[in-house]
Amino acid sequence: MVSVRFVQANGDERTIDGEAGLTLMEAAQNNGVPGIVADCGGNCSCGTCRVFVAAEWFGKVGGPNELELEMLEMHADRRDGERLSCQVTLSDELDGLTVSLPRSQF
Amino acid sequence: MRLRGETEPMRNLAELDLPHLPVEDAAFAADPVSFFRKAKESNPWIAGSNLGYWIHDYQAIKDLLSKDDKLRPAYDGIVQMLGAHGTPWGRFTEEQLISLPPEQHAMLRTTFAKKFTPRFANQLRPMMQETIKRMLDEWAPKGAFDFEEFASSFPITVMFTLVGAPVEEIEGIRKSLETLGLAFSMDPNRVPEIHAAYDRLEKLVQRIIAERRADPRRGDKADLLDLLIDTSEEGNVPERQLEDLVIFFFVAGYDTSKNVLTYTIRLLLDRPDLYERCAVDHDYCRKVLDEGLRLFNPGSVPRFTDEDIVYRDVLLPKDTMLWFTLNVSGRDELAFDDPDTFNPDREIDPAARPIPFSLGRHMCLGQHIARAQLQEALHQIAQRLRNPKLAGEYGWRPYPGAWGLKGLPITFTPAEAPADA
Repeated sequence: MVSVRFVQANGDERTIDGEAGLTLMEAAQNNGVPGIVADCGGNCSCGTCRVFVAAEWFGKVGGPNELELEMLEMHADRRDGERLSCQVTLSDELDGLTVSLPRSQF
Repeated sequence: MRLRGETEPMRNLAELDLPHLPVEDAAFAADPVSFFRKAKESNPWIAGSNLGYWIHDYQAIKDLLSKDDKLRPAYDGIVQMLGAHGTPWGRFTEEQLISLPPEQHAMLRTTFAKKFTPRFANQLRPMMQETIKRMLDEWAPKGAFDFEEFASSFPITVMFTLVGAPVEEIEGIRKSLETLGLAFSMDPNRVPEIHAAYDRLEKLVQRIIAERRADPRRGDKADLLDLLIDTSEEGNVPERQLEDLVIFFFVAGYDTSKNVLTYTIRLLLDRPDLYERCAVDHDYCRKVLDEGLRLFNPGSVPRFTDEDIVYRDVLLPKDTMLWFTLNVSGRDELAFDDPDTFNPDREIDPAARPIPFSLGRHMCLGQHIARAQLQEALHQIAQRLRNPKLAGEYGWRPYPGAWGLKGLPITFTPAEAPADA
């Protein structure tokens, strides 16, 4: 299992164990993490599962793919480390990952 | 599949004494929310009709519609009901992007998705602004008109510009799209005109693709049609599917955006304070549209169950036709506080977000283009049509399919375009 810490915009925290091979979005939804809306169910079409990867994890998580980058342009509050969690696949090397959530996904 | 509820004995859908909804009736189209609320007193989430079952509870819609692997689009069922199997329109409806089997759908959708992103939509905004400005230059001096008629020319002009189609064809194709938008109202009397309308649209699409292949636009001059042709070639997409995608682009983008814009203006006629703000606050237009889309959107989505599903202790047998009422789901009293009040400043709970563009793998591909063009249109309309007032009665389009207002007569004070518009 891969441990991931989610930090909400109001400071609330929740750490979950996600199965390697699932996307970060799926793991969050399976564990009831609030704020990951994911209307499109992981098809990179809605842009509502956005997270900000903690700076120390940028290297291991990597940056957005081309389609994801174009999707992220729907948001006004752009920040370093932003990813759509449906495009991040959990693996053992991400064990201990910390991500924060935006105030709004819309 | 079993979702929620483990204690009650399971009942078959056919055994339930469900309320029956007259969805084909004009009275239903004029006020479906009241009918659904009444139906809720008998059963909280599902009702029957002559056209299949209606899932009208917000949470039930979310629970079920997001299960992509348990449902399949039911457009073939609609073609069957209308006796149109084997016709060109029937073939298109059965094979359009949304109707394809999952693997084919995923491949095509992935291939074309990069042309429907927020970035692409944002790049189109200057063209959208120019289009609505040109229309307002022509229409605003009138001082009074049917807003629905005005709005009907906007999305189609944007779409024609996007694919470089000949502008002299706009009015003819607009009429065709008007007819095709009524196809899912399930009136068999409309079928002959549906075929004629489809034929005209198909011929136009085949012609513009052929002409563009012969004379492609390159560099800065390339438009969406060039991009779709290039993308289809890179992805080895058959010509028939490219044509279907462009036809689908027209059909899906016409009366959806037109009806949303018309209904949003209807809401704003009762809130001149918010309308005034739309004229000066571009960002606020987005909030107004989001709230308008909560209160109204055109779509009710048909699906077949692709396997037996048990939901809230009810067995929905495989191949049951279900309609999901996206269009009024934002009016659900259990999901939204004060659901009938138009309040663009309301807090959006991520767990109860309006779902006008559907959910899951079939979520509207054009939603970012639609949102951008509606925002640009509303901002400029509010600047040019000042103090609008309702000037007569309006009607309603049939509820199943592309629901919306039928006509919206208004008067207003014309205003010149601001220097920077």
